[in-house]
Amino acid sequence: MSKGILSVTPVFLKVWQRNARVFITLWKFNFLPALAEPVLFIFVMGLGIGSYINEMEGVPYLEFVAAGILGSAAIMQATFECTYGSFFRMRIQNTFEGIISTPVSAGEVGLAEVMWGATRGLVNSTLVLFILLALGVLEHWQAVFIPAVMFLAATNFAALGIIVTTNIAQMEYFHFYFAGFVLPAQFICGTFFPVSRFPEAIQIFAWALPFTSFIDITRSLMLDRFSSSLLPEALWALGSTLLLTEMAVRSMHRRLVT
Amino acid sequence: MIIKASSLHKRFRDVVAVESLDFEVGRGRCYGLVGPNGAGKTTTMKMIYCIVRPTSGSLEVLGMNVLDNPREIKARLGVVPQENNLDPDLSTCQNLQTYAKYFGIPGPTAAKRCHELLEFMHLTDRANAPVPALSGGMKRRLILARALINDPDLIILDEPTTGLDPQVRHLIWDRLLDLKERGITLLLTTHYMEEAQKLCDEVLIMDEGRAVDSGSPHELIRSHVAPYVLEIRADRALTHDITVRFDYLEHQTSGQNLYFYASASSEFNELIDAYPAMERLLRPASLEDVFLKLTGREIRL
Repeated sequence: MSKGILSVTPVFLKVWQRNARVFITLWKFNFLPALAEPVLFIFVMGLGIGSYINEMEGVPYLEFVAAGILGSAAIMQATFECTYGSFFRMRIQNTFEGIISTPVSAGEVGLAEVMWGATRGLVNSTLVLFILLALGVLEHWQAVFIPAVMFLAATNFAALGIIVTTNIAQMEYFHFYFAGFVLPAQFICGTFFPVSRFPEAIQIFAWALPFTSFIDITRSLMLDRFSSSLLPEALWALGSTLLLTEMAVRSMHRRLVT
Repeated sequence: MIIKASSLHKRFRDVVAVESLDFEVGRGRCYGLVGPNGAGKTTTMKMIYCIVRPTSGSLEVLGMNVLDNPREIKARLGVVPQENNLDPDLSTCQNLQTYAKYFGIPGPTAAKRCHELLEFMHLTDRANAPVPALSGGMKRRLILARALINDPDLIILDEPTTGLDPQVRHLIWDRLLDLKERGITLLLTTHYMEEAQKLCDEVLIMDEGRAVDSGSPHELIRSHVAPYVLEIRADRALTHDITVRFDYLEHQTSGQNLYFYASASSEFNELIDAYPAMERLLRPASLEDVFLKLTGREIRL
């Protein structure tokens, strides 16, 4: 019997609904704090530091950095949800063990968690997109595709989060994951300045991280600039997301069914 | 057979949790697993509700193999886990409705069922209470209500009454007997031998992953201990004195307690006359005596 995505039935949506229900109950605690970071970035990076920078890659700095702020909003929210959030549900509340005692499978819990993290990333980055719209940063209609890219980027990090969460013995290991991976990824993937500023070795590393592709695609949509490199970037973004999601589903199964 | 286990083994890395376990549970029976902590009871239950996979041997639940049909098996089970895993962010009623969704029960049916179950477990006036506002006894009753949401054929209860006050314990016992009368099969673990004796048709005593013995509580008592027990509480010197003097009577020591066993209460007369002032209790033998005899009276280190 397959334990990956192919074994998942639509019942996983019921677990997603459970998370959504709790989120709605606690919306006051969830909604605004999640927006604090991107809003701060808009003010500090875009309007603050940005006022000292005339242009970056031929556009006002706020327009350049907007893609990075959006991407960060998506991946950070997804990451928090699928690390601390999932860990809490799994280990502290024993919610998952309860769920898999019903006809729901462990893989379905895994996919539901990844999709829920992705949903939170999508919601958060879409709100930021509206703020950017209000600030007049969005000038091209292609921006309507940005939420789809954000959803995929959030899925990518949600899946990574679940892989980490299901493989650590205690919550403290998240410190290493955040300090050693999430935070560096947030800064070196072309979010606040172009990857081309780095020495070549770091550039290769940055492009190996799918987040760089997600940011580049978002920026292309936002600035209406398209190049032939976008196709391989899109393939890498999509392929790595599928692969990580499959790994997350299997990892959840390994963790829950012993 | 509702459950059929044959030479069931479970090993976690280098720890053997369950070894060569054989047992069968028939429809409508209440079957008890008892044994010291770490005996393998919970592991056995988790294999039955398909979240722990057997290492070897075979395990059939409701006529299906646990490795081949976990989803179909779980659809017909109700599970009361040892650890409270209610959703603290949802209300009493929402907890039940959320579980109803996992079983694919449509909304209106779930709402009706939720209402009936809260009534059955005396929780109706707590329907909208948040879980953290419930007492320990209410939480346990809610978990039992949740285990009934899918109208199960088999209910698995891992220490359903641990830590509860006598009123709640009696309510839960009454409800379990009600369910049994309706033909539902019960599998339970407990550390209270009184509970096992009261509820179970058959008890399996486990120790260190293996079955020590099984049978009805009555049979177990008859085959392992004499029908009368004299419990004596005395200091070390007196204990020594008594055991030397009445060595011909079957006895066991546990800390400051002495247990003498006899087939007629008159056999204790001489002992009682010899120490008229000592603290003592003459009582019929119970499942607890069997349990302690088979698994030892001393604390395991």
